[in-house]
Amino acid sequence: MTPKPPKGHFNILYFASAGSYTSKNVEALPAPLPLRKLFATLEERYKDIRASVLDHSLVTINLTYVDVPEDEAAGEADEIVIQEGDEVAIIPPVSSG
Amino acid sequence: MEEGSGNRNGTNGATAATGFAQNGLSRRLTDDEFERYSRQMIVPGMGKEGQLRLINSRVLIIGAGGLGCPAAQYIAGAGVGTIGIVDGDVVEVSNLHRQVGHATSRIGMKKVDSLIQHLRGLNDLPAYISHPFHLTPHNAADIISQYDLVMDCTDNPATRYLISDVCVLLCKPLVSAASVQKSGQLIVLNCPPVPQGLVDGKYAPCYRCCFKKPPPPGSMVSCGEAGIMGPVVGMMGVAQAGEAIKILASALHVQSENNESTPERNLLQPTLLIYTYDLESAVGPYSFRALKMGGRRKNCFACGENSTLTLEGIRAGNPNYEQFCSVPTPNHSLPPEERITAAAYHAAKVRGELPEHILIDTREKEHFSFGSIEGAVNVPFGKLLMKAAAIKRDGGSASEILPPEACKPDTPIFVVCRRGLDSQETVEKLKELGLDYGGKRKIMDIKGGMKAWKEEVDPTFPYI
Repeated sequence: MTPKPPKGHFNILYFASAGSYTSKNVEALPAPLPLRKLFATLEERYKDIRASVLDHSLVTINLTYVDVPEDEAAGEADEIVIQEGDEVAIIPPVSSG
Repeated sequence: MEEGSGNRNGTNGATAATGFAQNGLSRRLTDDEFERYSRQMIVPGMGKEGQLRLINSRVLIIGAGGLGCPAAQYIAGAGVGTIGIVDGDVVEVSNLHRQVGHATSRIGMKKVDSLIQHLRGLNDLPAYISHPFHLTPHNAADIISQYDLVMDCTDNPATRYLISDVCVLLCKPLVSAASVQKSGQLIVLNCPPVPQGLVDGKYAPCYRCCFKKPPPPGSMVSCGEAGIMGPVVGMMGVAQAGEAIKILASALHVQSENNESTPERNLLQPTLLIYTYDLESAVGPYSFRALKMGGRRKNCFACGENSTLTLEGIRAGNPNYEQFCSVPTPNHSLPPEERITAAAYHAAKVRGELPEHILIDTREKEHFSFGSIEGAVNVPFGKLLMKAAAIKRDGGSASEILPPEACKPDTPIFVVCRRGLDSQETVEKLKELGLDYGGKRKIMDIKGGMKAWKEEVDPTFPYI
């Protein structure tokens, strides 16, 4: 099992090429974080991860698929916010076989 | 649906009800079938009806490799009546650690023929159909239309999108699996199948609903050509067969007359199964995750409400799958003065014409472990990129990225990788960090990587 994230954090899991890009399987990031800011937050930590990995990956929160808003600026009242203790996953498509 | 009390003396189903005669669900099983499939037929939910559905089904397995071999074994073993296999490749020795349907004695044989030979040995009752060529936009619809269900066991994104698009247009359920290095994925798509454009209701997604954009071909895994563990891809292929058998035995592949979702048909929550296997932490738990996916997307390019995708279009080259999946990679072509061929580097070194320098090999440590150019220092490309990003973000001394041997600011640096792309990017990164001291230090790329070294300098070099 993945260790529980520390207080005030969520876990983010990196699958397949996301794992090789970040050299990590999991890390804890500060919560809460609006979903629309997730990619920018990761880009800050891992240069070019957006174009190389994130743009074609699926994102799940607590094992359920979510649509990441294209617009980072506008936060609507019903927007998804990643909460403390959540488990977010970055899942790039795998195509070999 | 069981009628009569089937017994092994050949009277099973002898008093067949007539209502199912048209679809073959009422015929009696032969003694051979009865004997052969007995252990799976007594599993709750399967029964004689489920078995006859399998026997009357036609499954297409696209790809006779790491996924296709294990998948085909269980599809054949379960008694699916007609099994088509598509693959244009021949068996190579490097396939055999995972492609369990082939054999050392069949190296060089068409994979389709090799796999069918293996499957006949397991079960000679099904009809096996050989399609010994690659699936293309031109032939895809003709082949797929002959089957009830498709299993995507291929190894490239362009074919994955093609298969999904054709399955949408022909209303075929698609069981799609993929695997690389240490991870595997499995998802059931288009099931139950409904026509393209229906969006007012909850319908199953297609591949494009899940993965809108293909991964860039030049991304990290490319120069490493990641590798694959046999049990990981094997597990995904077996799970894929399991899903296909479930769909066929319960007739979920049959389109309902008015595309209504009956309660049983509603139970299918689109799920992406992910398997991760970590070699580096032998004590760590292996992990499966089942992720809840969304349904059909309203605006999906292939199955959505305003889709313009057609079979005629696909056959004529629209969309262009190759182009869609080969987003132009940044063109790494350093100026000639920053590059040296493997042969020239070697010749200069032998003649003692090279100044004291440091040679950085950016391959992953597993590749490096088989051999390297004398004196090379291993700095894997992924780690190098990470360090470069950290230095840019947090500040810190740029020279920390280099091995200690290279701390003298005038020591020239040569960079070599596997095939010559990562090394050029490394040269650019090092210059970005100012490590060329405005041109005072030479940083050079060895053209074509260790592949070129093997071709130009040392044919015995153990290159993978």
